[in-house]
Amino acid sequence: MSQQPTQQSFNPYTENGGTILAIAGADFTVIAGDTRQSEGYSIQTRYAPKVFRLTDKATLAVNGFAADGNMFVKKVRQRLEWYRHAHAKDMPIRAIARLIQTMLYARRFFPYYVYNILGGIEEDGTGAVYSFDPVGSYEREACRAAGAAQSLVQPFLDNQIYFKNQTAAPGASFPKHLPLSTVLPLVIDSFTGATERHIEVGDGLEIYVVLANNSSSLQSLLNMRGIQELTATNDGERVFVIRKELKRD
Amino acid sequence: MNTFVDRFSTTSAVSQLRRAQRLAEEEDDISDVAWGSQAGFGNIMKGAPSFNVPDIPDPTSFLRLHTDDHADPSCRIKIQHGTTTLAFRFQGGVIVAVDSRATAGSYIASGTVKKVIEINPYLLGTMAGGAADCQYWETYLGMHCRLHELRNRERISVSAASKYLSNLVYSYKGMGLSMGTMICGWDKTGPAVFYVDSDGTRLKGDLFSVGSGSTFAYGVLDQGYRWDLTDEEAQELGRRSIYAAGHRDAFSGNTCNLYHVKEDGWKFIGNYDISQMHYEGPGDVPGHVGGGFGYDLRVEGLTSANPPPAAAEVAPVAA
Amino acid sequence: MDHFPTNWGRPRSEAFDAYGTYPIHQRPKTDSFSAGVQRTQQPIVTGTSVLAIKYKDGIMMAADNLASYGSLARFKDIQRLHPVGNNTVIGAGGDMSDFQYIQTILDELIIDEFTAQDGHSLGPAEIHEYLAQVMYARRTKMNPLWNSLLVGGFKDGKRFLAYVDLLGTTYTASTLATGFGGHLAQPLLRSAVEGKEDTLTEEEALAIIENSMRVLFYRDARSLNKYQVATITESGVKISESKSVETSWSFAEGIRGYGAQVQ
Repeated sequence: MSQQPTQQSFNPYTENGGTILAIAGADFTVIAGDTRQSEGYSIQTRYAPKVFRLTDKATLAVNGFAADGNMFVKKVRQRLEWYRHAHAKDMPIRAIARLIQTMLYARRFFPYYVYNILGGIEEDGTGAVYSFDPVGSYEREACRAAGAAQSLVQPFLDNQIYFKNQTAAPGASFPKHLPLSTVLPLVIDSFTGATERHIEVGDGLEIYVVLANNSSSLQSLLNMRGIQELTATNDGERVFVIRKELKRD
Repeated sequence: MNTFVDRFSTTSAVSQLRRAQRLAEEEDDISDVAWGSQAGFGNIMKGAPSFNVPDIPDPTSFLRLHTDDHADPSCRIKIQHGTTTLAFRFQGGVIVAVDSRATAGSYIASGTVKKVIEINPYLLGTMAGGAADCQYWETYLGMHCRLHELRNRERISVSAASKYLSNLVYSYKGMGLSMGTMICGWDKTGPAVFYVDSDGTRLKGDLFSVGSGSTFAYGVLDQGYRWDLTDEEAQELGRRSIYAAGHRDAFSGNTCNLYHVKEDGWKFIGNYDISQMHYEGPGDVPGHVGGGFGYDLRVEGLTSANPPPAAAEVAPVAA
Repeated sequence: MDHFPTNWGRPRSEAFDAYGTYPIHQRPKTDSFSAGVQRTQQPIVTGTSVLAIKYKDGIMMAADNLASYGSLARFKDIQRLHPVGNNTVIGAGGDMSDFQYIQTILDELIIDEFTAQDGHSLGPAEIHEYLAQVMYARRTKMNPLWNSLLVGGFKDGKRFLAYVDLLGTTYTASTLATGFGGHLAQPLLRSAVEGKEDTLTEEEALAIIENSMRVLFYRDARSLNKYQVATITESGVKISESKSVETSWSFAEGIRGYGAQVQ
């Protein structure tokens, strides 16, 4: 029916594997990604971060073609810095989301091959996750997985976060927001599961946690092993990263 | 798009974009405007949107090569699509109803998409086709509707707004945009619905449905549509039509979002789960009588293939 | 608009127009004028693998001296390791003319930096970042520099080792290999180096590199048993004279189709 598009001899894209995921809570957001970078069956490196702190209230995860992803993060950070210089404050996350849409859409006819997930804290103190397609359509959600193992991880999250295909016990109901102490194990399980069943996922896991001002989750978080704080301002929001090992086979 | 004339023509969409790109490169990489508070809408810093086009003889086939998963299911960049949307005009205003499913290949990328784009308090746009194309250009349309208000001290008509959009997408014709949208609102002429698509088609009409599930929605819509529908009847018709499409079209489903535009602007009526509508109905909402929409519920006990639950239990004993 | 259900949201095909909505119906399949601009669409004179590892004192990198012309071993005295400034070496696989162009732009960069006389000098991290931007910019212009490059260096007490290729893809690891080496040598390098980066001596590192070069020479048909090894340490850049490894082909005698016998 339709004619096959003519093959260009130079293909400017490749796929570098890996998976990213973000979950929003009532007053926190968790954004995670594995650290393996691969091309075909070769592991290029076991540590190439896919999750980046943008501000104290926003974190961006990128997945797809690594060179496009790194360039995109670089350009977003440049725009955020300009905003900081012009307005003497960090750009709110809903504005960052719109910025990312326009930046992606500017390449509508030569797309960035990147799936973006933006996670952080909204101005009203709630946790927020924004997910994007490669040309900039976006949506605010409670949780989202993207990348190589999205089809393994997303159904798991649908079941455990949205309680899809589950029936509450008589007289009981499902909670609207899960606590951080429930979400963190879910994130870790998602990645250990994806590592077991997908060859492009593994090596290392980086979990970023963004907490709203006076978040009740702070105490339980500080007890985590190997946690590192990345907060840079005194605005109230706090950013942490937890690094874990995943299987390397 | 690949003829000799086309490559060296100065009027095609591609060459105009290339020229804009070249001009942009000659200036500073980014103008001063990007720095301050005007940095807002990414690409119109210089007045007109500028887009990066791959520097090859045929950019359109490049885009198809990498983003058209219909021609090549293994293509990498999967743009979200698949939809049912509808809008109709009646005595009480405009009903806009859409589903909420987005698919990438056979994967359901999202079940919670907002396919009604709230352009301003009086204008709604629907989303079918490329999700980003619709979101981006209808947001852009919203900016220009506001500029129209500021310049002319009155709201833009639905007709003018839709024409603005259709002229805009027509200037990109052949570049691979994909959108089929209905611009709905209420202006001096009363309720209005315009269909606009990425070919530049713009149609005024009473009733439209767009998307892969549109045929199913039309079936229900056509037999239930009257001009003198009450508000409640009209809302129920919108819901029921989207239910029908969600039920029968694999690329549509999850939930239905329902809007009603009246003289004082649009109102969000509700979000209805399509599976729930099948078994239990949309719940206690005005306009709805009885239980679920499911066909098997209506024939229950009337056919041998679908006996009432009680009869089914008794049957083995009787035999 | 194409109303076929599954075509919704996909870029419309200009080649197929079911409803005759688009005015131009006849389109030629190929464009005989599109060859008007010549670019590197494929490499011509090519180099094969480059290997590099981290060790106690810095970085060790190796590449053979062959530049092939297709399957012809065309030039057998090409140096594929290039010093940049005082702390960095780049090694290149892929198109050798593009590599020579990269050498000239990096040399210009170093001269510009030197003439500034501002007390700063470019280290390996800066050179890698610069190279990555050049490579990515060229791929975005659909006119790539057809190379896989390793950048190794030692500056301010820190080792640096990273990769960049024609797509602008970058990464770092304690062992890196381009081309065929990524398949054949990288597993050997990883098992010999990972976890021992801070204890391996220069002699041990050299033994690992030599062994990997031997394995590559045995199985990579575009390789040569004549190669150079660069070391970048506290004391600067050293690139060795060309050398070779001992090989043994006696095993081939017993294998039909491998050795001298015909049938």
